[in-house]
Amino acid sequence: MKKFAYSALVLTLALIALPNGAMAATKTLDNLQTGFNGESNANPRYLAFAEKADQEGYGEVASLFRAAAKAEAVHAANHAAVIKMVGGTPQAKIEAPVVKSTKENLEAAIKGESYERDTMYPEFLKQARAEGNRDAVQTLNYAKTAEGEHAKLYSEALNNLPKLKGSKAKDYFVCTVCGYTTSQMDFSKCPSCFTHKDRYEKVS
Amino acid sequence: MLQFPAIPSWDALHPLIIHFPIALLLIAPIFIVVGAALTPTKGRSYLIAAMVLLLVGTASIFVAVETGEAAGKLAERSPGMEHVLETHESLAERTQAVFSVLSLILLSLLAVPWLLKRADTRLTTTILPLAFLVLYSAGVLLLVNTAHNGGRLVHEFGVRAMVASSPVDASAALPMETRDKE
Repeated sequence: MKKFAYSALVLTLALIALPNGAMAATKTLDNLQTGFNGESNANPRYLAFAEKADQEGYGEVASLFRAAAKAEAVHAANHAAVIKMVGGTPQAKIEAPVVKSTKENLEAAIKGESYERDTMYPEFLKQARAEGNRDAVQTLNYAKTAEGEHAKLYSEALNNLPKLKGSKAKDYFVCTVCGYTTSQMDFSKCPSCFTHKDRYEKVS
Repeated sequence: MLQFPAIPSWDALHPLIIHFPIALLLIAPIFIVVGAALTPTKGRSYLIAAMVLLLVGTASIFVAVETGEAAGKLAERSPGMEHVLETHESLAERTQAVFSVLSLILLSLLAVPWLLKRADTRLTTTILPLAFLVLYSAGVLLLVNTAHNGGRLVHEFGVRAMVASSPVDASAALPMETRDKE
């Protein structure tokens, strides 16, 4: 209600104020399409990695891959919603995943997530901020934060891989709003999007 | 020519709002001390002023928490900053709860004698308000720590100006070395 009243006031005053031009979101739209393509491909890739991990007896790693796959689907849906908002059509070219051993799959996943966390999303965010596209900043920031967690969880799994041989499925929790992924629900609100923890989904 | 700056969005409002609870809620106890030191008749108006400051300050905490969450959704996380942000958010919620209770207590202290049509005495304008200040110190401790962590986010981790209020030259937002290559 507070937000609505404030938005109505801002909208009214904005209509009275001098128009400052329609937002040209072409570069951010391209970036969102790139992000959407990446997240849409990451989902089936991680599900394929999960299957391989199960075959090799790494139940816990398989659970982690499934949780990350769920998070990537959340990011893809969030990116798609903003693409539509700025007048675009979400497009993804789904490629067949290259599945190797679980060790190699983890290494590839860490490389991909680290690139998204350290290079791709920070650049996209800078552009979206400069364009004043708040919705894009939010979805890109949610993805960047979650990819950082994925990289951390994958690195931990890789470091402990010998010990995880023969492990059973483990519970992970994924925020259905922002895709934040964790194995410990020691908070009442999502650390990334502040949504109540009830919105988390358990993935094993 | 001077003109009004752009109207900030809800998430950009946080840096403007946060100064209200800090200032109002730190000034309120001064009025309580002055009110307690004066005679019951003269002191009552200072206590009422303190109550108004406390109520407005507490209301501004609610706005600060809401705008803070909106701003937090746009803030890029980094390893050290993440912990400070979580602490800031958690302390802000506790501060909100504590000052809500303090508001109710002071409101009761001033409203009950008035409703019962009892004359002000040293008990109601000096002893109880001073006892209330002891409770108030807990709120001040939370408020100051919340503000300190918010300050760290801005001045230590550079969390500020989330989104441009109007589109700017995108290349200007890129680092110098990137711009040189383009």
